[in-house]
Amino acid sequence: MKSNRVVITGAGAVSPFGCDVEALMAGIEQGRSAVRFMEGWDQYIGLRSHVAATAEIKDERAIPRQKRRFMGRMSIFSAQAAEQALVDAGIDPAMVPQMKMGCAIGSTMGSAKSINDAFEIMLPHKDISQLNSSMFFQCMSHTAAANVAQYLELTGYIMATSAACASSLQAIGAGYDLVRLGRQDVMLCGGSEEVHPTVTGSFDVLMATSAGFNHAPSKTPRPFDRDRDGLVCGEGSGVVVLEKYERAIKRNARIYAEITGYNTNGNGSHVSQSNRESMVRCMKQALRDAGIVPGEIDYINAHATATLQGDKEEAEAIKEVFGASVPVSSLKGYIGHTLGASGAIELIASLRMMQRGVIYPTLNLENISPDCAGINHVTALVTKNIEVILKNCFAFGGINAALVCRKV
Amino acid sequence: MTEEEIIEKTNKVFEESFEIEKERLQPGAHIFNDLGLDSLDIVDLVVALQKSFGVNIRNEEKIRDIRTLQDVYQFISTIKNAGGGKAS
Repeated sequence: MKSNRVVITGAGAVSPFGCDVEALMAGIEQGRSAVRFMEGWDQYIGLRSHVAATAEIKDERAIPRQKRRFMGRMSIFSAQAAEQALVDAGIDPAMVPQMKMGCAIGSTMGSAKSINDAFEIMLPHKDISQLNSSMFFQCMSHTAAANVAQYLELTGYIMATSAACASSLQAIGAGYDLVRLGRQDVMLCGGSEEVHPTVTGSFDVLMATSAGFNHAPSKTPRPFDRDRDGLVCGEGSGVVVLEKYERAIKRNARIYAEITGYNTNGNGSHVSQSNRESMVRCMKQALRDAGIVPGEIDYINAHATATLQGDKEEAEAIKEVFGASVPVSSLKGYIGHTLGASGAIELIASLRMMQRGVIYPTLNLENISPDCAGINHVTALVTKNIEVILKNCFAFGGINAALVCRKV
Repeated sequence: MTEEEIIEKTNKVFEESFEIEKERLQPGAHIFNDLGLDSLDIVDLVVALQKSFGVNIRNEEKIRDIRTLQDVYQFISTIKNAGGGKAS
């Protein structure tokens, strides 16, 4: 079967640093933390973590009410990120309905706020008569994908990858395959997620959240650090435009990078415990797919959420495949863990690093934890020509994903 | 409840739930053709009117006959004055 080359020609992001990619990069470049104390979360009995990295919704009225009414927070994030990505790619939105173009937008679940609101309306009196018509469309698992498709009038493949923290990297991987196989010419791919106490709570009950920095929010999360104590939830959306290389060349599009390798696998062992062996297999298979050896990777953007076990397993897996030669950093210290959006948002930031020839350090990594040692941690800004990057995502559910991109 | 109160409360529902400017809320305005509502909006209109007027109108057959804003005022007036539409 014919295999197309697939390139990334556009990027859009809504993140805890603001409503576009420039705001995201400015926050990272300035070494800021978007994590803050969440007022009112102490009302939740048993919730230990009271910090999060929230994103602000701006200009949502630019989305017509008829489309917007079906959007919870996460779908508004995604619609805005997708529209930015299209504009960034130089694709005229008016031409979209006629194009062989679809979207794959992943998330852990539907809008957390809308789901919570729906149950709060419905359950006290077991009364569904007060639910409005748009609630289901905000709550459904493919809400971001469906809303992006409706908003931009996409008529191609519409997919929602739901694999928790690997959702958006799986979406990009799925889009890569669809364009590679010629099933679609262009795909908008990425992910979305919301901050909500019930979302943080789902990690909190597993003791996976950061609970020791409620009064020093900017000091957490602390990926790979000796004093890390868990993840901090963030929110937002990242979307990239994938298209056939020939198509991008023909229309003189600016190309951020070519996707040359991808893999996703299951760990086959535990739903919540990260597993080094399966991470190794995932990264190695992505490298094989790209037809390269580990030494050709110039930068690894780690998943590293600052959980005790996850960071340790990832560091060991990276050490096994790459040794201490390849620079590694995590962006979770800046924007928290944007869960289903993290793969796309962090890939976009990594592509910008590739463009600029710099690697931004892991924020809050002050003392490399002995159990995360032996890899090339980036703790201060590195200037380096970056030709090939690897992006990792590891999710609850025992799902791994890794993506390789090369500068064109 | 006076006619003015019904008009005021109904218009508020249209402004808040459907983001329609006050000037467009004329009694003769067709709720689909002029105000841009669709079938799903009618579900939300019912929910909002129930909440606003403290009535239960979800199963009222006459909702299907509503076409204009005046029809909405009339519908609510009939329900309220007949004591129909059991309090929700």
